[in-house]
Amino acid sequence: MTALMTVTMTINGTETNPIEVPEDLMLLEFLQEYLNLTGTRYGCGQGVCRACAVIHDGPRGARAVPACITGVAWANGRAFRTVEGHAERDDEGNVTAMTPVQQAFLDHFSFQCSFCTPGFVSAAQALVERLEAEPVPADQVEDVVLAALNENICRCTGYVRYLEATRDVILATPGLTTEGGQAEGS
Amino acid sequence: MRTVLRILAGLVLLAVVIAVVVFFGFTGSGPVPPASRDLEALGEEERAELVALGEYVAKAGDCAACHESEDGLALAGGTPMETPMGTVYGTNITPSDTHGIGHYTADDMYRAMVYGIAPGERRLYPAMPYTSYHSVSREDIDALYVYLMAQDPVEKPNKAHEMAFPFNLRPLIAFWNLIYRPDPPEDPGPGLSGGDQLAQDRRGPYLVDVLGHCGECHTPRNLAFAKTDDHLGGTVIEGALAPDITPQGLSTRGWTREDLAQFLSTGLSPQGVMTFRMFPVLSHSTKYLPDRDIEAVVSYLAEEMPEPASPPSDPAAIEAHSEGHRLYMGLCAGCHGGDGQGQPFGSVPMVGNTTLMLDNPLNLHRVIREGIPARHLSGHLRMQEMPAFDTMLEDRELDALSRYLRDRWGLGAM
Repeated sequence: MTALMTVTMTINGTETNPIEVPEDLMLLEFLQEYLNLTGTRYGCGQGVCRACAVIHDGPRGARAVPACITGVAWANGRAFRTVEGHAERDDEGNVTAMTPVQQAFLDHFSFQCSFCTPGFVSAAQALVERLEAEPVPADQVEDVVLAALNENICRCTGYVRYLEATRDVILATPGLTTEGGQAEGS
Repeated sequence: MRTVLRILAGLVLLAVVIAVVVFFGFTGSGPVPPASRDLEALGEEERAELVALGEYVAKAGDCAACHESEDGLALAGGTPMETPMGTVYGTNITPSDTHGIGHYTADDMYRAMVYGIAPGERRLYPAMPYTSYHSVSREDIDALYVYLMAQDPVEKPNKAHEMAFPFNLRPLIAFWNLIYRPDPPEDPGPGLSGGDQLAQDRRGPYLVDVLGHCGECHTPRNLAFAKTDDHLGGTVIEGALAPDITPQGLSTRGWTREDLAQFLSTGLSPQGVMTFRMFPVLSHSTKYLPDRDIEAVVSYLAEEMPEPASPPSDPAAIEAHSEGHRLYMGLCAGCHGGDGQGQPFGSVPMVGNTTLMLDNPLNLHRVIREGIPARHLSGHLRMQEMPAFDTMLEDRELDALSRYLRDRWGLGAM
C-alpha cells in the first residue's frame, strides 16, 4: 500500500487546493488526472523524449523538467507552467494571443502530429527566459538553441523547423543577444 | 670545522658513488628470454595466427584503456591518468617510427612490458603497469609485438607528462624499481599462447593479476604509490572508488559467480552498471573475453567466496530519513521505482545495488551529481542516460538523499 501525502503547488500562476495523493505519483499524472490539464504529453515515460517537459519556475529561473519522472514529492510547494499557461487568454479562457515562441512554431510549420510540441514549447520558452537574464552573442544562437532543444525528440522530424523558429524568435527579440555579427533574422 | 666539512663532503661523494653504482649495476632490466620463435621468418598463415593471438593479448591486457587517443584511436596515445604526483599521458604505441614504437625490437617490447625500461634506458613511469605485466610470457609478448607492428602507424606526437618536481626526474624511477618492481617468475608459463596448456587455475590469476592488471586500480597504494599487500582490497583512484573485489568484499555486497560473469561480459548485473573508468575496461577488454576466460577470472576472484548475503532492504529508513525519502520519491522513483526495483535497460535497481553498499559514498555522490551518459554496453545491451542532478540538489539535500539510500538498501540496512 503506497503512502499518501498532501500536496499543493502553483500551476500556471494559480495555487492548487491541498489534496491527498499517493506519494509515488508523478507530476504528469497529477496534471492530467487531478487538474485535467491534458496538454502535457506522456511519451516514453522514462524522461528521455521530453514530450512531457514543463517549466519549473525556481530560484535559478525557468527550467524545463520532465514531468513523467518528476514526482509530486519534489513538485510539492513549487511553481510550474504547462503548455496551457503560455498564451494570453480573455476572462472566459479563450486564447487571445500566442507567445512569440508559439507563434513562431505555427509560422514555421514546425510540427505535424504535434505530440512533441508542448515539450518543445516548454524547452524553447525556458531558453528565451534564460537568455533574458544571460544574453549570448548573436553568432552563438544556433549552438545555444541546439543545446537547449537537443533532448526533445520529434518522430515527425520537425527538428530543423523547431530550431529555425526558436532561433528567429531569439534574434528578433531585443535583449536576448549581444553584439556578435549576425544580423536580425538572417 | 674544516674536518667536519671534509667528512660531510666525503659522505656526499660516497652517497653519489653508491647511487651511481646502484643505478648502473642493479636497476637495469633483468634477463630477457630468447624470442619464442623467429619473428622475421614467419609464414603468411603463421603471421596471421600470431596477429590474431596478439590482438587478444592486447584486449586481455587492456592496452587501449590508457593508450587510446582523445578521438578514439585505440593505440595512438593521449589518455590522461591523474596521479597525486601529476598527470601521465598514455603514449602512442602504433608502429610510427617518429612518434610510436616503430623502432622497437621484440626484445625492446619485452623489456618495456616486464621491466618498464624503453629503448635508450628510458625508465617508464609505473603508470605503465609493468609491475603487473612482469609475469607476461615471452610468447604472449611476441604475439603482441607482431600484432602491434601489423597496425597502421598514426603520426601523432606524444603529450608531455605533467609531473611535479621531483617526480619529473625520470632516472629516479630506477630507485623505485629497485624496491617495488618484482622480478619476473622463473617460469611464467606459456601464457595465452599456450592455449589449453595454460590450465584454468593458472589462467584466472594470469588474466586478473598479470594481463588484466586489475590491481593497478583496485589495490590500495602506499606513500610511494606502489601497490600494497592488501590485494584488490579497494581504493580511491582518479576521484572514484575502485571497490573491494576480494572474495570477502564481493560476497558481503551480495555478488554471486553468475553475477560476476554477467557483469564482466555485459557491463550489467543485478548489482548495477559499469561506470567511471570501469566502463572503458568493458568496452576495450572484458566484453571480448570468451566464456572460458570469464569463467577463469570468476573462479579466481570468487575463490572460496563465502555464501553471498541476500540484498538488504530496510523500510525503517523511510521514517528515519523523511527528507531523503521525499527527495527519492520526487527525483529518483520515476525511474528507479518507489520500491527501488528499477527498469530494464532504463535504470538499475536500488535493491542489491553495489554502490549503495560501499563504505565510502564517493561514487554514489558523483553519480547523482554528474549522472551517467547513455551507453552501448555489449551486443544489443544499452542503458539509457541518467541525468545529472547537481543543479537540482543542494549539498545538504544530496547528503540527506545519500544517507537515506545507504540506510534503506546499503549495508547499514542489514
